[in-house]
Amino acid sequence: MEYKVEAHRIMSISLGKIYNSRVQRGGIKLHKNLLVSLVLRSARQVYLSDYYSGVCLNTQHVEAKEWELMDSNQEKPLTPAPEESLSPSTDCNQNPEVPVVPEDPEVQHTSQAVEDSTDLHSVSSKHQAEEESSSEDSTTDVSLTSSPVTCESQCEAKGAEVSSSDCEADANPATVTEGNSQQPPKAHSCSNRKRTAEKTASNDSPVKRTKVTSSNSSEEEAEEMDTGNVSNLITIFGSSFSGLLTKESSEPEAETEDSDSGSGQICCDQMLKNLNPWSTAIVAF
Amino acid sequence: MAKLVDQHDHHYCTADVISAVEFSQSGEFLATGDKGGRVVIFQREPQGEYNVYSTFQSHEPEFDYLKSLEIEEKINKIRWLPQLNSAHFLLTTNDKTIKLWKVSERDKRPEGYNLKDEEGRMKDISKITSLQVSPVLRPMDLLVEASLRRVFANAHAYHINSISINSDCETYLSADDLRINLWNLDITDRSFNIVDLKPENMEELSEVITVSEFHPHHCHLLAFSSSTGTTRLCDMRSRALCDQHAKLFEEAVDPANRSFFSEIVSSVSDVKFSHSGRYLLTRDYLSAKVWDLNMENKPVETYQVHDYLRSKLCTLYESDCIFDKFECAWNGTDSVIMTGAYNNFFRMFDRASRRDVTLEASREVCKRRAVLRPRRVCVGRKKRDSDISVDSLDFRKKILHTAWHPTDNIIAIAASNNLYIFQDRHSHHAGHHLEQDRPPQLQDAPAQ
Repeated sequence: MEYKVEAHRIMSISLGKIYNSRVQRGGIKLHKNLLVSLVLRSARQVYLSDYYSGVCLNTQHVEAKEWELMDSNQEKPLTPAPEESLSPSTDCNQNPEVPVVPEDPEVQHTSQAVEDSTDLHSVSSKHQAEEESSSEDSTTDVSLTSSPVTCESQCEAKGAEVSSSDCEADANPATVTEGNSQQPPKAHSCSNRKRTAEKTASNDSPVKRTKVTSSNSSEEEAEEMDTGNVSNLITIFGSSFSGLLTKESSEPEAETEDSDSGSGQICCDQMLKNLNPWSTAIVAF
Repeated sequence: MAKLVDQHDHHYCTADVISAVEFSQSGEFLATGDKGGRVVIFQREPQGEYNVYSTFQSHEPEFDYLKSLEIEEKINKIRWLPQLNSAHFLLTTNDKTIKLWKVSERDKRPEGYNLKDEEGRMKDISKITSLQVSPVLRPMDLLVEASLRRVFANAHAYHINSISINSDCETYLSADDLRINLWNLDITDRSFNIVDLKPENMEELSEVITVSEFHPHHCHLLAFSSSTGTTRLCDMRSRALCDQHAKLFEEAVDPANRSFFSEIVSSVSDVKFSHSGRYLLTRDYLSAKVWDLNMENKPVETYQVHDYLRSKLCTLYESDCIFDKFECAWNGTDSVIMTGAYNNFFRMFDRASRRDVTLEASREVCKRRAVLRPRRVCVGRKKRDSDISVDSLDFRKKILHTAWHPTDNIIAIAASNNLYIFQDRHSHHAGHHLEQDRPPQLQDAPAQ
């Protein structure tokens, strides 16, 4: 459990560095940001590594489980399959082997969290367990509800990686109209990679769909996470790491990214109002 | 401007922090660049000390309006050209623009014009009886001028990290995070791209170029290191675009040392060819490695610079110290290598005897003509009073830039805004080895 705390901490620190790099004098330093994103990815892999120990990889089973959990008003974000052979430090300052703990601390975590908050934005995750997630990807597409589908199609039309803000913009109105919704809408980050996504359905009980995604091991950024305030931080950033790069290399996508971060910012503000304990921290950030 | 405080509570600006140090090819001159874009050149006096010779503003802060980015004026690298005549030429670079400067002396001025007399007053025209065609040169106080001769701009989309002058003395390379360009020193409006690591899809970016250098003798060979810990040797004869390397120097990572920060720690921060051209010296965050150009799979020597930091990587990551880029240097005979560390420590390793020494560059320790005594960092309890424990190291004091005279045992150490120049008291010829019982005797020379 300790290593998860450390991994989470490292993720937060890394995101902070990426965020700060955008306002640094002299422009974004590509080298440093690349290294930070590698650390972010490693930490995230460790953090999520035990979610799948013991969890069936079958999507339908996963969905059924979700329904049960939702019915019992308990959140349990399901994230991709456990990582293989990952041995980062438990304590980030030391290098022992990481024990795979077959528990789900997330349940404890979310049960303590405010119902409205946390686990909003599952979204993109980079995983190296490609073979495990590939089967799920096709089935999860079917399970998407209307608004996320719209969002997703828009995102896919964009082709390359798109910030979550676009999807948030679409999902938000749906959420606002949901009186009973316990959770703010999930943000999608759509891209040519498979992703994890959580979103609420309309009507009574919010349903979280987990889209298991896989990614190339060569990709270096992990934008959104499905846990707590860390995912909130990513949402606030708006644009992805490639957004940082596109700005720097002044490709045409830069303008798109700019508008994304703009709308993302608005969506973030809307969502922030729904988050009680985290709102102060994030606004301050 | 941010104000910093050194150990004596002296306030200094971040602009004064030295960011580049380089001896000229003969060793007669030493150039330093700082974050404020200034260059200070020192000249070696006959007695052996270095005094200020010239100071000029090399780069100014700029603003890229297209990308809404400020371009820092910080001098990243300085490289001297071999001296061809009485003037001295050096290349300086910031993140985006390389400049060629000519530093020349003037100690005479022309006088004796036809219309003015020696005091500068107009002559009475009716009294002029002869014409002087050539002016008379009269001595004046020595004036050292630095004039800008070439500006090599707009060739790099990413931040320039190195420049290196080819042994042919006609071309040089400049490297940024993703590309290496080849220039002719006389032509500023075009350069050739010889290495391009930019992927089609930037999301697939996995490595960046960290340092690049030409081979000292073979004008077709260059080396560049990457953030993944590899160093490549490229041959420009084989293809125009040297993305395919001729050799790849990479050591397998010890799986026992894997951590979140393994990748950062293995990123190479400096590459230097030995003077002989037979070896490569690479510096990563914790170690320095000597590679034989004929053996790619592992270094011939590995020196742990500050392995005691391995257990503190998380803290160093938080403080951004883990991103510090330390340079390294060879001595004139390639028998000793030197690199900097924290707490204003720097280390020297004698390759033959495997002896190493840790020395400190600070005002308290370095009085004029004082002999530096070796320091030691201890992990556990102090064995001697002079030991420093790991936890009391000051990580704000870092020696990133060091330079060794090309032939003599003179070293230049940059510690924040201070430049220290140390000379070996015992021997002024190359080939001095660190002896078993005698620590190196070093004395400081006046600097800055």
